[in-house]
Amino acid sequence: MISYHPDSRFLTDFAAANLPLSEAVCVSAHLEFCGKCRAHVQQLADIGGHMLSRLQPQEVEKTSFERLMSRIGSGDGAQQAVADAILPTPSVAASEPVVAVEESSRASAAGVFLPRALRRLSAGGLHNLSWVQLGNALRVAPVRISGDVRETAIYDIKAGGRMPEHEHRGEEITVLLKGSFSDAEGSYNRGDFVVRNAGEAHQPMATQDTDCICLVSLEKPVRPRAWFYRLLEPYVQYRLQKTLEQNTAF
Amino acid sequence: MTGSDDINSRKAASGWGTQTVPDPWEAGLRKVAQGGDRAEFRKIFDHFAPLIKAFLMKGMSAYADRSMAEEMTQEVMLKVWNKAASFNSGKASVNTWIFTIARNTRIDFIRRNERADRSIDIEDIWHEADSPEPLVDLQQRRVEAVIRNALSTLPEEQALVLEKAFIDSKSHNEIAEELDLPLGTVKSRIRLALNKLQILIDR
Repeated sequence: MISYHPDSRFLTDFAAANLPLSEAVCVSAHLEFCGKCRAHVQQLADIGGHMLSRLQPQEVEKTSFERLMSRIGSGDGAQQAVADAILPTPSVAASEPVVAVEESSRASAAGVFLPRALRRLSAGGLHNLSWVQLGNALRVAPVRISGDVRETAIYDIKAGGRMPEHEHRGEEITVLLKGSFSDAEGSYNRGDFVVRNAGEAHQPMATQDTDCICLVSLEKPVRPRAWFYRLLEPYVQYRLQKTLEQNTAF
Repeated sequence: MTGSDDINSRKAASGWGTQTVPDPWEAGLRKVAQGGDRAEFRKIFDHFAPLIKAFLMKGMSAYADRSMAEEMTQEVMLKVWNKAASFNSGKASVNTWIFTIARNTRIDFIRRNERADRSIDIEDIWHEADSPEPLVDLQQRRVEAVIRNALSTLPEEQALVLEKAFIDSKSHNEIAEELDLPLGTVKSRIRLALNKLQILIDR
């Protein structure tokens, strides 16, 4: 059951394609779980459709249509239409998010549902990403979305694992891809879209029975509360940066 | 297309089909999809290409001049031809479908312009959502008629923020900056407008 959804600002900016990519990837991931928000985005696109139809038309060049038809005539006609109608087949059926088959080994998280936007990047599976292990309970795969200043990453928190308490210096979006976690504010399940704002501190903990995998987009790096982790931070940032390069190497 | 036939028969069975205004472009687009009908495509082109060009000139004034808008209009119409078979009348009107193609082409162009790498595909983010539940489809078509009628009755300040968002391609933050309004005011104006259009988002 999904309880946390993107608000009207996220959905409108998404439908009008005005959302920075890192956030758009998060909204898109939520949409793959949530039929209700999909319907809203479709309705919002209708606003765009009607507004388009009311614009003052701008005359196209006289030869515009003929030029287009000669491009179409030179090779890509009806056959192309069929090929284009079929989207590239993702490794996991797109219509229905698939719950991961429970694996004894954490390394083998191949069955986890990945948002369509990230499948290309991960070549179909989480195990193809490069990970940084941070303590016992958490590993992080930073993902580069170029042209975007936000930090995007996939977090894998071990069942029952507790993340270091941290404070947000900017907005954080979390979309749960698998499992569930809780913090003082509530508990969150697969598909939930959770936003934390600057100044809020929390200590998320994965539920006992299963690992928790999240897509995370950070406006600014979080700041751990404990001095021990603060000392480690530059080292962690260095390792995340090195790993990030591996996750963009194609 | 079996997909849209299913939806049409469901619509007929539920008796709702008669309540929706027929889409004037749907039959023509289907002929383009099935037989590569050039005469029908010409009609679609003559109507939509000048609108798409207007949309691109407004939304991309920072990136593209008139001749670039012309080139991109060609790209959009090429996609309309190529993707005609994937149009699903149960999900969207032709207007909306073409808007989403133009919108995706615009953002793809901006990314190329910024020399962003291509490891993430725009079409994977703003994809044509996998077929929503039948009930959602029906409500969808009903709301679309509401949107069409209510759009012209919106107070000017609400219509303005929607136009800035959907046509001028401005985010909430950019609209707030441009109109010198607090972000909360922009958000509430858009929410009020959406409520009037019966797009009832909980948050």
